[in-house]
Amino acid sequence: MHREVARAFKEYYQTLDVGELDVKGLQEREIALIPLGHETMIRHIAFPDTVALKEYLMENVPAHLYYSSAYYREPQAPDMNKKGWKGADLIFDVDADHIPTLCKVDHDTWTCLDCAAKGAGFPPESCPKCGMKRIETTTWVCDKCLEVAKEEVFKLIDEYLIPDFGVSLKEVEVCFSGHRGYHLHVQTEDVKTLTTDGRREIADYVRGVGLDPKHQGFRVMKDGSIIGPDLRDGGWRGRFAKSVYTYLSRCTLEDLKAVVGSDEVANTIMRNRERLLRGIMANPPSWMGLRGVELGRTIRIAKAAIRDLLCNIDERVTIDIKRLIRYPNTLHGKSGLKAAKVSYSDLESFDPLKDAVVFKSGSIKVYVKEAPRVRIGDYEVGPMRDVQLEVPEGLGIYLLCKGAAELRE
Amino acid sequence: MLTIDDLAKYPFLRRASSFVESYGLTFQDLASEEYSYVVQRAVERVRCGIEGRWAELNVVDPETEILAYPLALAFVYGLKSAWVVRRFANSEQKRCFELLKNEEKEKIAEVGKDGFDWDLEGTELTVSGVMFDFSLPVEKYLEVAPSFHSPDWKLVNRHVTGGRVYLKQVEVARLLSEALKLKILKKAEEEDIKKFQMPEKLLLKLEGLEKLIKETKIYDEDAMVEVVEEAKPPCIVALLKDLAAGKSLSHMARFTVTTFLINTGESVEDVLKHFSNVADFDEGKARYQVEHIAGLIGSKTKYMPPKCDVLRSFGLCVGGDAYCKKVRHPLQYYKMRAREIKRKKGWEKGA
Repeated sequence: MHREVARAFKEYYQTLDVGELDVKGLQEREIALIPLGHETMIRHIAFPDTVALKEYLMENVPAHLYYSSAYYREPQAPDMNKKGWKGADLIFDVDADHIPTLCKVDHDTWTCLDCAAKGAGFPPESCPKCGMKRIETTTWVCDKCLEVAKEEVFKLIDEYLIPDFGVSLKEVEVCFSGHRGYHLHVQTEDVKTLTTDGRREIADYVRGVGLDPKHQGFRVMKDGSIIGPDLRDGGWRGRFAKSVYTYLSRCTLEDLKAVVGSDEVANTIMRNRERLLRGIMANPPSWMGLRGVELGRTIRIAKAAIRDLLCNIDERVTIDIKRLIRYPNTLHGKSGLKAAKVSYSDLESFDPLKDAVVFKSGSIKVYVKEAPRVRIGDYEVGPMRDVQLEVPEGLGIYLLCKGAAELRE
Repeated sequence: MLTIDDLAKYPFLRRASSFVESYGLTFQDLASEEYSYVVQRAVERVRCGIEGRWAELNVVDPETEILAYPLALAFVYGLKSAWVVRRFANSEQKRCFELLKNEEKEKIAEVGKDGFDWDLEGTELTVSGVMFDFSLPVEKYLEVAPSFHSPDWKLVNRHVTGGRVYLKQVEVARLLSEALKLKILKKAEEEDIKKFQMPEKLLLKLEGLEKLIKETKIYDEDAMVEVVEEAKPPCIVALLKDLAAGKSLSHMARFTVTTFLINTGESVEDVLKHFSNVADFDEGKARYQVEHIAGLIGSKTKYMPPKCDVLRSFGLCVGGDAYCKKVRHPLQYYKMRAREIKRKKGWEKGA
């Protein structure tokens, strides 16, 4: 551990306002941490209040601090079966790492551990050269990645949690993960006792897994005409109607040809586009009724139309009822950034690479081994390799935590 | 308003339990002549379960019916057989479903509230030409619906808005009756009915039921004795093919294939052979993990393969065949196919 990082982290926890550590039901949660300079996790600890927790953190400065999504009768019990599970928050993890974005070519690389093949961008599932699946990645984030992650958070809240699941804004806590994404914590009594299976259904709902348009208003009448959902409907029905409307009003002929699999049908649709859109908007709606546009093709259009509305979340986090997740408002050891709680109203303007930076005093001299272009706060630098730089403290700590730089005299 | 006739129809309701409690009966009391009808009715109810019939729908004497239910449960739990609990729960589920689906809306809502704390709201909402009768909070729907296999029960294929799932009456009847079944199954894990607590007369009834079980129970475990290669489901076949080709698999994939093989009767040695082609194969480490999964070391828990839903979420489901549609667990697929294949072979031999 670099001494500058150790100093900065220690200072952070010493000067931290105790109120920042406020979480719901602290005494019922398991706390876990990886201390600075260590690799193994210390688990199964519990604290009666935030004051006790802060005292502990000043003595045992963590590189990473976690709390359990679960509430236990005995959170400190070392045996999971003896903890006495009482319930758990419902968590959504949005991670830019899991979302293929174009900018990944600029800042991410992967290496096959078997044949040493290398590449840039989103890592392949298996090595294109040898077919093995042991792939090591070096990933960075940029504004574009973080913006995409933020869009996912908005989508999740605005499209699903509020209208479909009836969750109110004050019941959702949004936290920057401290590195590459966001965590959403839903902490209502209603969701607390959901089982893993129940949570999987919710994850599948927002990811559109198993979604069948035929169950959401698309069907054929006896006379062969097609019935579809109404823009005014709630849930997936309304979402389908709205997204098909938007899709048809924006798509190109080429898009449509690929989706319906027939040039002729795509041409018919494009020629009648205005009439179709009016039909979908009508009350009650009237769908298609064009030659060659049968249910199968309508459904293909519907599926293409909703693609951008599906949430990119890590479902493993959502279905886990005993997850350890980063403690809000603490530091991420791989970035030095704060896993800051962000209110919904501030989310739009929240700039993680600026607003989650806590180290702002002076500058540090670091030796950068290799890094792409990086911005922290208003300071931007790189791409760079083998250079000695004097940079603002926040950026220096970031590069040291990422393992891309070291201290050299 | 729930009447005494309703309590007889739905004796699992809280109100029915209070009714029973007000009698303050012990096992000794029930063994007396005065309650012989109750005992008889309880035995009949368990018998229906064992034989796979539904308990009679017509309620002759509501009082007997209500008092007999907890005794029937005591018999079921006292028999200490998971098979009986399952059969009984199934027959009670079917009975409850038949009764509920023709019930009045208000009554259904009351059963939901008193039996399961479900806040069922009557509605006449029509959405895209579909009329719904009820709405139910999402979290209550999810207590039960994940135990159904069919895709139309998936939340994503439901009308969900404002935190509520919209349902037709027959669907609510299905959900409530399934909730009853799950409740009976769950209680079996908690209840500890000891036979010696029962008086002679009730013990005799219990023994009679035990005899009936022996006559009725068809052992289906025998399908598992030898490994039937052709009975493996497509997901496992695909993983085994990857292993044979030397591909290294994800943690979840390795866990799935190992638990599957162990649970279909392969030995640790046999399982390890499947992994030996993989480039990063480390026998010591692999053996430790396989033995752990087999429950030979460590926590001594024998792990089961994940069910189809989980495999689907992890991208390990390869699409499936006609048999997959009937099952929701890879082992269930295997059992079904193995039994069928064996039956066929036996038949061929016989012919």
